[in-house]
Amino acid sequence: MKILTFASAREKAGFTEIDIPVDPAETPRAILRRIAPRLPLADLRAAIDCEYWDWDAPVGSASELAIIPPVSGG
Amino acid sequence: MNTHVEFTTQPVCLPTAYPATRELGATVEFHGIVRETEGGSAISGLHYEAHEPMARRQVQRIIDRLHITWPCHAVWFIHRLGWVPVGESSLYIRVHASHREQAFGFCMDLIDLLKKDVPIWKLTPPPRPGAEAASPPGSK
Repeated sequence: MKILTFASAREKAGFTEIDIPVDPAETPRAILRRIAPRLPLADLRAAIDCEYWDWDAPVGSASELAIIPPVSGG
Repeated sequence: MNTHVEFTTQPVCLPTAYPATRELGATVEFHGIVRETEGGSAISGLHYEAHEPMARRQVQRIIDRLHITWPCHAVWFIHRLGWVPVGESSLYIRVHASHREQAFGFCMDLIDLLKKDVPIWKLTPPPRPGAEAASPPGSK
């Protein structure tokens, strides 16, 4: 699975994009705990294949997990 | 309803097309413009970043949903990415509707939801050396 980070989440996570093997039963929370255990998730949202996703819902066969910090477009 | 959703690293190019309907009674245009201060510091511009495929999908979904509340003939949405200098538009929205309530309502709600759910970020550069934001008149 491709893991993407953006803006402030990228600075905190220390990577922009990585590819890692993921079990379909794993959740975004479990994946982040595994690859970036010190990343605080409080203000972040998870997105699976471009859809917002519950931190505790299994990722299934998705190909991308994006870590979405508070947005500020406009 | 016709929709146009665009992300670009170039200055906003204003659309010239108008819906071919005689029921067009209101057109609302919005420019979001980069100001010279951000968080009290003088800046020369902002850098915009997006998860573009997701942002495109979210914007289209918001537009489709708002069309139920505020029926419109056409919507243009253009958001700059990358570096946007002070004074230039980072966001352009144009809404064509039959009535002003629909056009204004659509535009306002679209901006509100953009700032809530669409994965776009403005990244503030470090303050310019020696530059401080000018105090607004009467603030001292």
